[in-house]
Amino acid sequence: MSPQKRRLMALLLALLPLLGLFAHVAVRSGPLAPVAVTVTTVESQPLNPALFGIGTVEARYSYKIGPTAAGRVKHLFVDVGDRVKAGQVLGEMDPVDLDARIRAQEAALKAARAAVRQAEAKAAYARSQARRYEKLLRARSVSEEQVAAKRQELAVAEAALTAARDEVHRIQADIEALIAQRGYLKLVAPVAGLVVARQANPGTSVMAGQAVVEVIDPTVLWIDARFDQISAGGLAPGLPAKIRLRSRHQQLFGGRVLRLEPLADSVTQEMRAKILFEEALRPMPPLGELAEVTVALPALPARPVIPNAAIREVGGRRGVWLLQPDGLRFVPVRLGRSDLDGRVQVLDGLKEGERIVVYSEEPLTPRIRVEVVERIPGVTP
Amino acid sequence: MSGQGILIEGLSKRYGEGDTAVLALKNVNMRVAPGEVVGLIGPSGSGKSTLLKCLGAVIDPTAGRMMLGDEVIYDDGWKVRDLRALRRDKIGFVFQAPYLIPFLDVTDNVALLPMLAGVSNDQARARALALLAALDVQHRAQAMPSQLSGGEQQRVAIARGLVNRPPVILADEPTAPLDSQRALAVIRILNDMARRYQTAIIVVTHDEKIIPTFKRIYHIRDGVTHEEAGEGRGFD
Amino acid sequence: MISLAGRDILHSWGKFVFTGIGLGLLIGVTLTMAGVYRGMVADGKALLDNSGADLWVVQQETLGPYAESSSVYDDLWRGIRTMPGVAAAANVTYLTMQIRHGRRDVRAMVVGIMAGNPGDPGWPPHLVAGRQITRGHYEAVADIASGFRLGDELKIRRDRYKVVGLTRRMVSSNGDPMVFIPLKDAQAAQFLKDNDAIWMQRRRTEANPAFNRPTVPGLLEAVLASQTVNNQVNAILVRLAPGYTPEEVAAPIRRWKRLTVYDRSQMEEILIGKLIATAAKQIGMFLVILAVVSAAIVAFIIYTLTMDKIREIAVLKLIGTRNRTIARMILLQALALGAIGFVVGKIAATFAAPHFPKYVLLMPADSLAGFFAVMLICVLASLVAIRLALKVDPAEAIGG
Repeated sequence: MSPQKRRLMALLLALLPLLGLFAHVAVRSGPLAPVAVTVTTVESQPLNPALFGIGTVEARYSYKIGPTAAGRVKHLFVDVGDRVKAGQVLGEMDPVDLDARIRAQEAALKAARAAVRQAEAKAAYARSQARRYEKLLRARSVSEEQVAAKRQELAVAEAALTAARDEVHRIQADIEALIAQRGYLKLVAPVAGLVVARQANPGTSVMAGQAVVEVIDPTVLWIDARFDQISAGGLAPGLPAKIRLRSRHQQLFGGRVLRLEPLADSVTQEMRAKILFEEALRPMPPLGELAEVTVALPALPARPVIPNAAIREVGGRRGVWLLQPDGLRFVPVRLGRSDLDGRVQVLDGLKEGERIVVYSEEPLTPRIRVEVVERIPGVTP
Repeated sequence: MSGQGILIEGLSKRYGEGDTAVLALKNVNMRVAPGEVVGLIGPSGSGKSTLLKCLGAVIDPTAGRMMLGDEVIYDDGWKVRDLRALRRDKIGFVFQAPYLIPFLDVTDNVALLPMLAGVSNDQARARALALLAALDVQHRAQAMPSQLSGGEQQRVAIARGLVNRPPVILADEPTAPLDSQRALAVIRILNDMARRYQTAIIVVTHDEKIIPTFKRIYHIRDGVTHEEAGEGRGFD
Repeated sequence: MISLAGRDILHSWGKFVFTGIGLGLLIGVTLTMAGVYRGMVADGKALLDNSGADLWVVQQETLGPYAESSSVYDDLWRGIRTMPGVAAAANVTYLTMQIRHGRRDVRAMVVGIMAGNPGDPGWPPHLVAGRQITRGHYEAVADIASGFRLGDELKIRRDRYKVVGLTRRMVSSNGDPMVFIPLKDAQAAQFLKDNDAIWMQRRRTEANPAFNRPTVPGLLEAVLASQTVNNQVNAILVRLAPGYTPEEVAAPIRRWKRLTVYDRSQMEEILIGKLIATAAKQIGMFLVILAVVSAAIVAFIIYTLTMDKIREIAVLKLIGTRNRTIARMILLQALALGAIGFVVGKIAATFAAPHFPKYVLLMPADSLAGFFAVMLICVLASLVAIRLALKVDPAEAIGG
């Protein structure tokens, strides 16, 4: 081979890979390059739809305990976090002048009883007088008029006795009322539970009805959960739920839908439901903690199912790209329920066994050249 | 080749104008017959190069008359329109340094001239190869000039000078870089070629080794030529 | 006739190829520059395409939601949905922020999308992996450019999000990758203050006697609660029903809803005309400079190559080579250099493009234009050398 030819060969050897690369670059990038897509086959599968919502942990029963009358707090025997028994005295209101008023009423009662005894004496005397004058009248020793006067005196004395006795009852009732009132000054736990708030300290004046201590029943907690209206179809009482607490997000707790609130939130477009924990949590989660709730809906019978990543919108219609031997075709579909793993039932438009595009590198058009791949380039497994 | 070979009559060349004008050639007369090799000898600045350039049609003489073969090329003015074609077809050049084109191999260096004249590549190469064979360098036909020895380069250069069968070859110090044996070999080749192709060859030189080989010598001094007979040794 | 240019290239091909590769890298930079500009335009268009909207309803007198901030009430969409010609309307929020992922921070545009179905306005139109969001909270679909993977947990503000899907080329006009999350989370992320700020605000409100009235229990709680709710979004995306022109639908919204409405062409004008205009000019200047530098380098290389051959050119002329043969030799060499440079440049640009942090779009039309520009530059650059070669005196070949 001549040196000239050798040079030519060397040059070609140097340039050929360059040209090869260039051709590769020209064909594999830019508009000539095929778009990588992945496909899946439509299969009929049963679907386990579920709903996802968030809510806060709340106590089902909570009791706000406070005085029935305005007053000052005298003692508080419990603090936040204490467990209390039913009937346990949690604190006391300052009675102020209540005892003095009771003593005064007791003195008044004694006076009233004395008055009763006086009235009894008067009435006994008046009765004996009246009996004597009647005998005398039969004996015709006194006039009819005198007898009538004595009878009237008897009636007055008996009326005075009744009045005195009623006064005693009134004062007794007053005393009972004051004693009862003193009983209400005691803040008593209505049920066994947990003190979650102590809103006033001894010395604080509180109004009637204002809560001083808040007690909940820690055994019955629920989640006040909110579900977006658009995906809350099928939510019903009794459905099982899984609850994940923000502070324990590795752990799942069982629950059950207790009820659906009849009032939805129109601003946030959410439905509200109460989810009861299956069993009491230990330790108890703080009230107000955020929780995620997944409610399992009844399983749906098998139907064609597609991944939701396959759903595209073309020209205002929702559908999927069908992979056919001669290329791509967009078919509108009617979609049914979906589950939280992104599988959607197809009601109309697709048959089992058809191949549809799931992922694509670029937006698709009917005339685009596609290359079916296992995985879109750049996606790491 | 027929006709006159080279004929120069009363050639003069003036550089510059007016007071600064220099007369490089004054009344040069030369005649070289076809098949003849003559020497042109003179010291530096004597006008050798100027004469060669005039003859090679790369500078314009001032006055006089020049004939190549039977064609008047200059008579107080160029008589041919395309000096490039004239140089290509009628004049062969052989230089002191061979000035081969470094990026062409030996064959193509020689074949380039006929190619430039429109001869097909194959024909031109065939002609070049024939000439290279005649000059005994055909074994280096595919080598690049840089791979050749000095003598080989000079022989390729001679082949290039001859390839278009010009009536005239102008050789400018063709033996300067060579030792005496090689120098004599080159002169022998020139003589052979002159005879074989009936070419008129002017060898410009001041190489003492080869001066004795010329039968006729033109001395040039201060722009004037003097003809004298040479020894003509060695090749008869 | 043999090709003198080809033979010369063959003779010194090493010099040629390496010079061509050097030139090619320069051309590669030039092509990449053009690609950066195209990428910016493409990013802007991708942003509009990916929103799936025909109209953007934003706060009055703003250039929102991309070029300026805009906020509208989140219940307005219902009123707009019922207007004639509206096929779909959806709230959307955009917030560019740093997202924490493990130890690293990723700058991303968080897009809040309204609960609904895939294909709704604002939803990512297509994925490359995973699935679309199915839960109303704490799920995210991230762009692959963010470096997130399926199953990764992101932290946006105080909440953790699980990456369930990946997109490609879903970027903001700045080229920041998008992260799609449910609208309610996004609203919280956008308008929710950090915890310290909330505590400080609560204390401030508590200290304000107007809100903290002992005689009105519950007032303070109500005020505090009202401070943390947010019902604003950045824009409402509207999709037109078939048969309506954008203007037909936009006009009543502007007039009756007192909102600003942009259609696609206006949005492009805002994004491409206003947002990246300066950057485009900047790149344009770079392109000019690079073109001049390339031209200078080609001219210099060709000039040097010609200077090296001045003797040969003199000989060629002396033995009768025509000027145009010599000129063609130089021109062809310049073009060959340009062609090698272009090929190398195109390859270099194509392989370098994916490694740029922002999108670099190499358009075949640009490459073609680049090719002709390179060739033109080579022709112009070779003129200097050709002029030099033509001035060479054949007499120089004759010594003395």
